[in-house]
Amino acid sequence: MAEKRPNRVLGPYHDDFWAYCREGELRLQKCGACGYISWPATDACFDCGARGDFSWEKFSGKGKIISWCTFEREYYRGVLPVPWDTILVKLNEGPIFLSNPKGFAYKDIEADMPVKLAFIDCEDNAGQFKLPVFERA
Amino acid sequence: MTDDLRELSGRVSIVGVGDTDYSADWRASRANDPEWTGRDSNGLALLAFERALKDGGLTRKDIDGLAFAVGPTPTETMVDVLGIKPAYVEKGWLYSMMRNAVHAIDEGKANTVALVYGYAQKSMGVEYGGTDIQQGTLSYYYYHPWGWSSQAAHWAMTFQYYSKKYGYTEKDLAAVPVQIRKHAMLNENAVMRTPLTVDDYLASRYIVRPLHVFDLCLVNDGGVCLILRKTNQSRDMPHAPVKIAGWGEYHGRKDKWQNMVEQSLQPYLKISGGQAFSMAAMTHRDIQHLQPYDHGSFIVPLQIEGFGFAKPGEGLAFCQDGRIGLGGELPVNTSGGMLSESYMQGWNQMAEAVRQLRHEAGARQVEGIETSMFCFCSSTGADTFIYQRG
Ligand SMILES: [Zn+2]
Repeated sequence: MAEKRPNRVLGPYHDDFWAYCREGELRLQKCGACGYISWPATDACFDCGARGDFSWEKFSGKGKIISWCTFEREYYRGVLPVPWDTILVKLNEGPIFLSNPKGFAYKDIEADMPVKLAFIDCEDNAGQFKLPVFERA
Repeated sequence: MTDDLRELSGRVSIVGVGDTDYSADWRASRANDPEWTGRDSNGLALLAFERALKDGGLTRKDIDGLAFAVGPTPTETMVDVLGIKPAYVEKGWLYSMMRNAVHAIDEGKANTVALVYGYAQKSMGVEYGGTDIQQGTLSYYYYHPWGWSSQAAHWAMTFQYYSKKYGYTEKDLAAVPVQIRKHAMLNENAVMRTPLTVDDYLASRYIVRPLHVFDLCLVNDGGVCLILRKTNQSRDMPHAPVKIAGWGEYHGRKDKWQNMVEQSLQPYLKISGGQAFSMAAMTHRDIQHLQPYDHGSFIVPLQIEGFGFAKPGEGLAFCQDGRIGLGGELPVNTSGGMLSESYMQGWNQMAEAVRQLRHEAGARQVEGIETSMFCFCSSTGADTFIYQRG
């Protein structure tokens, strides 16, 4: 049963990201000009500004939680319940990825807690998709 | 720092200031009065403008420059609403507009420029989080699928990281909104003047945990106007001119999380503040009053660190025990900031800097000060200004 989620941003590059997720892979854009990893998906490197010159680098999905917060106010009324937990994961390869905890909650989280990638079945107005989340490593 | 900017330091001053009735409008909007139909941004801008003219002893004919940020209002409408015929016009964002206006005045494109802001955000029902936000800053909408949005959430993530790294608690953060509320209580035009204690804070609801409702700014209606002209033409005016002594600007690229969370905005603040200090030929030791952006309470200590008033990790310790209060070593947001006075996207904070430097702030006056620093600090950059009594 797919979880209902607020809408993704879709379009060029964004669609590539979600297509890799569908394959069970977390891939982010690596700039061909300078090597910088940009996330969220973009048409221009966040570092050097080069346009359209990317390869999609595969990430191990291992990392640690560096920060976290929980929504008590209902910003997504009717779509998501509160309290709603979010985590900030520093991937072992360096980039920082905002996500949700799977199988644990706010009270369980400690700084630098190791986590690993998982995908859950979700859907938004554009259809079904796989959402990258993190569970305890 | 170019020599040109160094030479511009102090050459232009703020000679008029006006704002609207934040407190009365707020109370009217919440009184369920059927007569209350709300405010509109143009009307707020006009009221602030007329008050600034009066304050500066000026008439509409004196205004030959206009820089404004009033919702979607186009230039033709704005000049009509204000009743002026400016030769120099810019519509945009306050902080670049103030710098640009100084250049324009210095280059003779205008003699006297009104910077005008009006935003009826409360009457318009503006929200700063949730699914309705689909454009603007990427981080405001990109993470919707993970249920992450809002200005509050930015500072919740940033504070959580900092508190764990340096060993702070929610109670430590309470000191910031509690102190700023004390200042607002001395300002009759502040929206929030009810006494606030640390216990009240800790008992209040979370918006985005670990941040409580008091860590986040208001959403209210208002307008502000600042009038600028050459300092050497500001001597025979009703008030002491307030010189624009320095500024700095830095906007980050690359990874927002790294800049905001892991680095606590320090690179933005150090670069932006450093430029302003350099242009003004000052250091943080010369600054007697600080007006740090406070749409979230936690960026107050980050700005205190970023400008060198405290060491990394010690900004929140600096906010304890009244050190940022009136009579403390660095009085901060003395009119109540955006947490308690009015959320005017920093414009009200500039107005307060002017009043403090004129020594007209009444019960909340910081005695005898000559310098004040303001910073528009966001999750993407920092625009810093240093003002000096002329
Ligand atoms: Zn690049």
